[in-house]
Amino acid sequence: MARRMAAKVAQAWIELRADDPEAVSALAVARAHLPVGARVAGLRRMRLVEIVGALPAREQVESLLHHSTQFYNPHKERCAVRLAPADPAPIESSERAVLIVEREGSWRPAAERWWRHETGEPVEVREGTAWVVRLTNPQAADLEELTLVRGRRHGLLCNPHSQDCRLAEGTVPLPWLHDPPAPRGARAAGRTVPASPKRSAR
Amino acid sequence: MSLPRVAVVQFPGVNCEAESERAIERAGLGAERFRWTRPAGELRDFDAFLLPGGFSYQDRVRAGALAAKDPLMDVLAEEAERGKPVLGICNGAQVLVEAGLVPNGGAIDLALARNQMPDRDGYFARWVLTRVEASGCVFTRHLEPGTLLPLPMAHGEGRFTSRDPDRMAALGRGGQIPLRYAAQDGRAAKDFPANPSGAEESAAAVCNARGNVLAMMPHPERAQDLGGLARTIGGTWGGSRDQALVGGETQAEGPGMLLFHGLARYLKG
Repeated sequence: MARRMAAKVAQAWIELRADDPEAVSALAVARAHLPVGARVAGLRRMRLVEIVGALPAREQVESLLHHSTQFYNPHKERCAVRLAPADPAPIESSERAVLIVEREGSWRPAAERWWRHETGEPVEVREGTAWVVRLTNPQAADLEELTLVRGRRHGLLCNPHSQDCRLAEGTVPLPWLHDPPAPRGARAAGRTVPASPKRSAR
Repeated sequence: MSLPRVAVVQFPGVNCEAESERAIERAGLGAERFRWTRPAGELRDFDAFLLPGGFSYQDRVRAGALAAKDPLMDVLAEEAERGKPVLGICNGAQVLVEAGLVPNGGAIDLALARNQMPDRDGYFARWVLTRVEASGCVFTRHLEPGTLLPLPMAHGEGRFTSRDPDRMAALGRGGQIPLRYAAQDGRAAKDFPANPSGAEESAAAVCNARGNVLAMMPHPERAQDLGGLARTIGGTWGGSRDQALVGGETQAEGPGMLLFHGLARYLKG
């Protein structure tokens, strides 16, 4: 229990160095086929990995992430690490972020095993997809309209029957994937959450 | 008299079009490959449609998500509304679900989520048993309920699920689950690997209420040759396979052809 009380959180924001084909395709389809697409000026995709546990100092966390094959490939991806809410997420002020996670969880047991092997410390690792959207003349519901799939012309990024989404309002929360905290034993169980996106505000 | 024509709709990344065409032709129908680059309106000239398996648009965003937005799907939805049959296999099923043609023909009502498997994750492939259920589905209604069909499955996202915890059960009660994963004894399979994805209600396939649009995760086109059935398949189908192998009749019709014959019966009246 004491260890859990002292747990720290690290966020690794991982993005392809080259143009991301998945984001390029998503943007093209949104612009071509969704009414909201006309106001989508840009779309980026990042993998968001969150590590919770007794973590070492920033330098060591970055080194562990860099040297493992579990998290990212530094030859083709870049990784920005956040350890405190004040640390900036790699998101411009003109952009907004939406996090997509599988409803049944997004745990990374192999990464957890690797971390424990390397450091001797147990951690919990989760992964989701963060879409970073730049809107032109945005209307209030644009981000939700782009995100939640409701029909062939409405929504793209999240099918609410198998996924949850969380919209960041202002500063991106830390933690974001582990919010709200879930007991370890709840991994296999599905969580009941509202069909509308959860808004994470700090 | 010209044969009924079936369009095999090919989005980029689809890879099961050839064997799908072969199965359609073996059932006595005409098959034509319809690439995504053609004008969508030309689809209206066809009598039925098949969306084959593969990885449309490389599964970007989510399996089937990008193809579901293509204008071709609007025409398919209109033609399905008119009663024309549509069969989506594996990735084709994912496209139909993401496009809302199954189970409603409108709003998105289901998802094909990532497989839930004990101690493993991701893509999984094996032969499975499916059981025919009482249903008005045009592809299976000529088959006796309880009939077991061995079919291969191969996917990472094949778990039929809904946010509404009662939705899948309601579909089953309404005859909209025409195929369920089954154990060797014929009972609906809840557990891995007989239910390879953890699909709710053991659903291997879901159709619309009218029964003319079917989204199925196993591959019937890969089970069209009796000689191609896996060695692990026993029972009646296994016996037929062994006889075919001994007799040199390896290309005799396998269990997957029964669904294509269902389509032919419907189209030929």
